[in-house]
Amino acid sequence: MYTTPIREPKTEIPAELDRCRLEAKHMAETLLELEAKSSYEDQTRLVGSRIGVVSLVAATILALGACTSCNQLPTPRATSESPSSAPATERVVGPLTPADAQALATMNDRLRQYLDLRTKIERSLPKLPKEATPQQIDKNQRAMEKLVREARATAKPGDIFTPEARPVIQRLLASVFGGPDGKQLKAAIMDENQAAPSKVKLAVNGRYPDTVPLATVPPQVLQTLPKLTEDLEYRFIGDSLILLDVRAHVIADFIEDIVPK
Amino acid sequence: MRIRQWSSVALVLLLIWAGAAGVHAIQSPAESPVALPNKDGSFKFSVLGDFGVGDQKQFQLADQMATLHGRFKYDLVVTVGDNILGSERPQDFQKKFEIPYKPLLDAGVKFYASLGNHDSREQRFYKLFNMEGKLYYSFSPKAKIRFFAFDSTYPEPEQIRWLEKELAASNDDWKIVFFHQPLYSSGRTHGSDLQLREVLEPLFLKHNVSVVLSGHDHVYERVKPQKGIAYFVVGSGGRLRVGNIDRKSGLTAKGFDTDQAFMAAEISGDQMYFNAISRLGQTVDSGVLTRRKITP
Repeated sequence: MYTTPIREPKTEIPAELDRCRLEAKHMAETLLELEAKSSYEDQTRLVGSRIGVVSLVAATILALGACTSCNQLPTPRATSESPSSAPATERVVGPLTPADAQALATMNDRLRQYLDLRTKIERSLPKLPKEATPQQIDKNQRAMEKLVREARATAKPGDIFTPEARPVIQRLLASVFGGPDGKQLKAAIMDENQAAPSKVKLAVNGRYPDTVPLATVPPQVLQTLPKLTEDLEYRFIGDSLILLDVRAHVIADFIEDIVPK
Repeated sequence: MRIRQWSSVALVLLLIWAGAAGVHAIQSPAESPVALPNKDGSFKFSVLGDFGVGDQKQFQLADQMATLHGRFKYDLVVTVGDNILGSERPQDFQKKFEIPYKPLLDAGVKFYASLGNHDSREQRFYKLFNMEGKLYYSFSPKAKIRFFAFDSTYPEPEQIRWLEKELAASNDDWKIVFFHQPLYSSGRTHGSDLQLREVLEPLFLKHNVSVVLSGHDHVYERVKPQKGIAYFVVGSGGRLRVGNIDRKSGLTAKGFDTDQAFMAAEISGDQMYFNAISRLGQTVDSGVLTRRKITP
């Protein structure tokens, strides 16, 4: 007979509410973007968000590498000076300093180049049917992998995660992992990521190891990093951040030791 | 000897009584089970999440799904993500999906997948997941019922705009949304995704969504109705997290975290009946809910 197991509580409600409150602060970016772009939201919700929207737009322009306008914008305050009540975009991600924005822009340029290349490669391959077998998916993936590898034969670490962008990414992620949810975020990343991979040797153009599960990339991390198209993903292998080409199943670039111990 | 005969008679009577009561298995003695009515013409489906591990327990739960299908002919299974955990080679699709659910697939049951955080996006092309190459999509398996699959790992603004448009355009009585990360969950490992809730819940409320199905936390939980919407976490299809439900969250209407489980449901008119069934065939939760009817 089934009976519902009863356990002693380990977490008090106030603690949970506190956690919720903290997490709620991280929500602002997506919400503000929606509020700015969509008509379905209740207009009254926008009233308190106008300043946040303006900040977000400014940060986005900077982050996406609109370098020509960097110098025209006022220098935002440093992350460390942001009050704890500030929206997530200010408290965790930035706003980016012009120097940081410029550094990330170098990565965006490389990303664009990579996507141009893989688009050409993809066009040269038969289109994967919308209802494919695992064998067809695998075959297509391996064909793509081969062509990407050939086209980027001289690629090396740092070609996409540029030397300029790396320290900025490391710093931004350190601030995320050092934040109030840092422990939980690291646990989420390492969940299903245990068997991995100090032993896995990462290589640019290397196939994503077949036996390594795809690890979680928490939304807070995704929000912090430059945005990707749906053909590329950020993933973690062990404590390394990788840029995964989804269709080719190839590691396009990586940064080691980015998840703090 | 006489005692044994009487015991046998009693057991037979008990089984007859249980069979007459509808489609359900053993239930907690403290509660009256709500049987799935198993009506002709009703819409029947199952829900499965976080299942693709390829181990014995997944197979055993799959057997229960097939057993149920023998007497409760559900048309489809919606998956709430983490469909293939670990490696995703062609042989993994077999071992973690095609073999365990072969009886259902052979019986014509269709699986409609949403993707989890451990799923490769290439799964959208896998024909048995019926995603037709899309990361997010909607489908109507029967008049007045529509499902919406959402990719909650990457809730990009364009996807959210798509969801709103789809929800707004749908005049269906039943709008059921399914995706991986739960808006409400008492799972200690992940819990409620508050960022996602902030964005999606207003859409669900505005556009008359009645039921939301998720996974991610490897437990079964029926959340107390939130603003009139029913939320289920069905991440209990494979790698279980025993004892992972935080009973003090205040969210749980019914939780089950001691064995694998899936959910079976039946929509008849304005009612949706549901059972959660464990790996051992026990009905660990059951009930009936009424669809939302908001007036513009």
